[in-house]
Amino acid sequence: MGPLIPQGLIAGGWDFVIALLLGIAFGFILEASGFSSSRNIAGVFYGYNFVVLRVFFTAVLVCMVGLMYFHYMGWIDYNLIYVLPTFPQPMILGAVIMGFGFISAGFCPGTSYTAMAIGKIDGFVFTAGLFLGIFIFSEAFPLFEDFYYKGNMGNITIGEFLGISNQLVTFIFVIVALVAFYVTWLIEKRVRKTITPFKFE
Amino acid sequence: MDKRHVHETNPKRTFVTVIIFVVVIVVGLLTIRSPKLKYELSPSQTVELVTSEEHVMYPYELEDIFSGAIDTVILIDIRNKFEFGRGHIDGAENISAITLLSQDNIKRLKQSMDNGMTIVIYGNNQLEANGPWMVFRQLGFDNVKVLLGGYNFYKEWKDMLGDTYYEDSYLLGAPRYDYAEVASSTAIVQGEDDPESKKPVTVKRKKKSSVAEGGC
Amino acid sequence: MNKNYIILAILFIILAGGYFLLPERENIKQMKPEDLMRDIVQTSRYVTTDQVAEMIIEGDPTLELIDVRNEYDYFEYSLPNAINIPMDSILVEEYQDYLGIEDMNVVFFSNDDILADQVWVIAKRMGYGSLYVMEGGLNCWISTIIKPEAPQETASKEAIELYDFRMGASMYFTGSDISTPSEEGAKPVTVKRKKKGSVAEGGC
Repeated sequence: MGPLIPQGLIAGGWDFVIALLLGIAFGFILEASGFSSSRNIAGVFYGYNFVVLRVFFTAVLVCMVGLMYFHYMGWIDYNLIYVLPTFPQPMILGAVIMGFGFISAGFCPGTSYTAMAIGKIDGFVFTAGLFLGIFIFSEAFPLFEDFYYKGNMGNITIGEFLGISNQLVTFIFVIVALVAFYVTWLIEKRVRKTITPFKFE
Repeated sequence: MDKRHVHETNPKRTFVTVIIFVVVIVVGLLTIRSPKLKYELSPSQTVELVTSEEHVMYPYELEDIFSGAIDTVILIDIRNKFEFGRGHIDGAENISAITLLSQDNIKRLKQSMDNGMTIVIYGNNQLEANGPWMVFRQLGFDNVKVLLGGYNFYKEWKDMLGDTYYEDSYLLGAPRYDYAEVASSTAIVQGEDDPESKKPVTVKRKKKSSVAEGGC
Repeated sequence: MNKNYIILAILFIILAGGYFLLPERENIKQMKPEDLMRDIVQTSRYVTTDQVAEMIIEGDPTLELIDVRNEYDYFEYSLPNAINIPMDSILVEEYQDYLGIEDMNVVFFSNDDILADQVWVIAKRMGYGSLYVMEGGLNCWISTIIKPEAPQETASKEAIELYDFRMGASMYFTGSDISTPSEEGAKPVTVKRKKKGSVAEGGC
C-alpha cells in the first residue's frame, strides 16, 4: 500500500499538504511535551530533566516497531522509504555545533518556533539568529564544501551497515531505549534532590 | 512544588495511546488475508522448469488422442468463445484464459489432476498458451502441458498430423538466420542485392514457418 | 516508579521481540496469481519489431533492451545496446538493478518470443513493472527490419510506407555504423539503485 507518493497512490503535488498537516501535528506535540520551555530542553545537559530524550526515543520506538509490523502486513514498503545519506565526520561536527547551540540557547530549531508561537521573546531572537546563521552558512558554503560532502557512505541504514536485519536493530534499539529511560530516571532523581527549583516571583 | 511535566506524574495518556497502537497492530495481523491461490513453485524453481523444456505436447501426439490410444488427456482451448466457435481441435473444451483461474475451474482441474489426467492447453500459437501454462505450473499443477504450434499449426496440418513428426517449423526458440552473417554483413544489406546466397535459407524456412509463426 | 511504565516497557519488548515469532511471509512484492493471469491475457506487453526499431533509431532514452538468450548467442549477434541477462540468471542479485528502474521500459527479446515471454512472466511475478516482449524475437527482427520483404506493387499505401520505413531501418542497422554489443553492454553498467528515491530531506 504505502508509501503513498512513491507508490503513485496519490499525486506528488500533495506532499506539501501532507507536510503542512504533519508540521502542525509535530508542533502540537512539541508544545504539548513542554518543549517550548528552554528549561525543559536544556535540562538534558544538566541532568534534571530528560523529557527531550524520552519524547524522542519514544517516538523512534513507536515508529520503528510500527514500520516493522506495517511492512510485515504489507501496508508500507520498507525499501521505498527514503534514507538520508550518511557523512560521518561532517555529521559529528554538525552535531557538536548543534548541541552547543542547544545548550547555550535552550532551543533546537523546531522548538524555537513553538516558543515563538506562544509569544516567547527568546524564541523570536533564536529564530532571527537561526536565519542569520543560515544566511552566513550559505554565503560561506564554498569554503567548506569539501568537508561538507566528506566520507559519503550513501543511503545506508544501521542494519545494512552492520549486516543484520532491520528487525534485529529494532529489537536492540528497544532494549537500549528502555535502559536509557531507566538510567535517566535514576539520574534525574539524584540530581533533583540536590537542586532547589527556581521560583518565579 | 512539583515542577515535573504532566506525563511524568500521570502516565495514563501514554498508556492509552500505546494500547491503541498495540490494538492497531494486532488487528492488522489478524486481518491479513491469506491469498486464495498460492504459488507452489518459487521463482527459481520456475526458471528451472522453463529451462528444462519439458511438459510440452507435440502436434503428432494428437493422433493418439483422436484414435483413442491415449484417453487421459483433456484438451483445453484458452481462446475466446468466438474463436473457438470458428474452429477448434476436436474434443477440446473451451475455457477462455480470463476464466481459467475461476474457483470452479481450479477445483475441476485439481480433481482431474488427482484422477491422473493430463491437461493440454492451446491457443492460436504457442505464445498465447505460454503464460497460462506457466501460471498453472507455478500454482503446482504438474499435469499441465502446452501444445506446440497451437491451433494455427493444427489447422494447417489437421489431415496429416502423423506427418508432422518430421516437421520442425512449430519448434520455436532456435535462430532461423545465421546471425554471424547478419552481424558481419555491413555492405550487403538487402536480399535483392544478392538473392542467390540467401534464397536457399530464407525461402525454404519461410514456406514452413508461414503458418505457425503467424503474424509476428 | 509508576507501575504503568513497567507495563509499557514490557509491552514494547514483547512487540519488538514478537516479530521474530511471526511466520515467514511470502514476498509481498510478488504478484498474486490472479493478477498475473489477468496481465498475461492482455496483449499490451507485446511490442513489434518496427516499434523497437523506431525507438532505437530515435534514441529513446527510456528503452532498455534485454537479451535473454545465452551469452554465446549474445556475443554473436544482438540488438544495439542490449544488455545480456540469460534466462537462467534472471533472478541473480546483480541483475536485479537492471529491472524496475523508474521510467525505463524493459523490452525482453530472444530468438523467438517464447523464451522472452517466459522471462516476462517470471519478472512480472517478481513485481517488476514496465516490462515488454518483442514479438517474434530476433527471427522476426531480421525478417522484417534487417531483410525486409518488398510488398506487392498492388499493396496498400500503408504496406508500402511500412516497407519504406523498414528499408530505412535496415540501412540504419546494417550501415557502416554497426554497433557490436561486445563493446557496450557486455560489462554490467552500474545502475543506481532506485531503492531509496530522493524525497525532500528534512530534519527536526
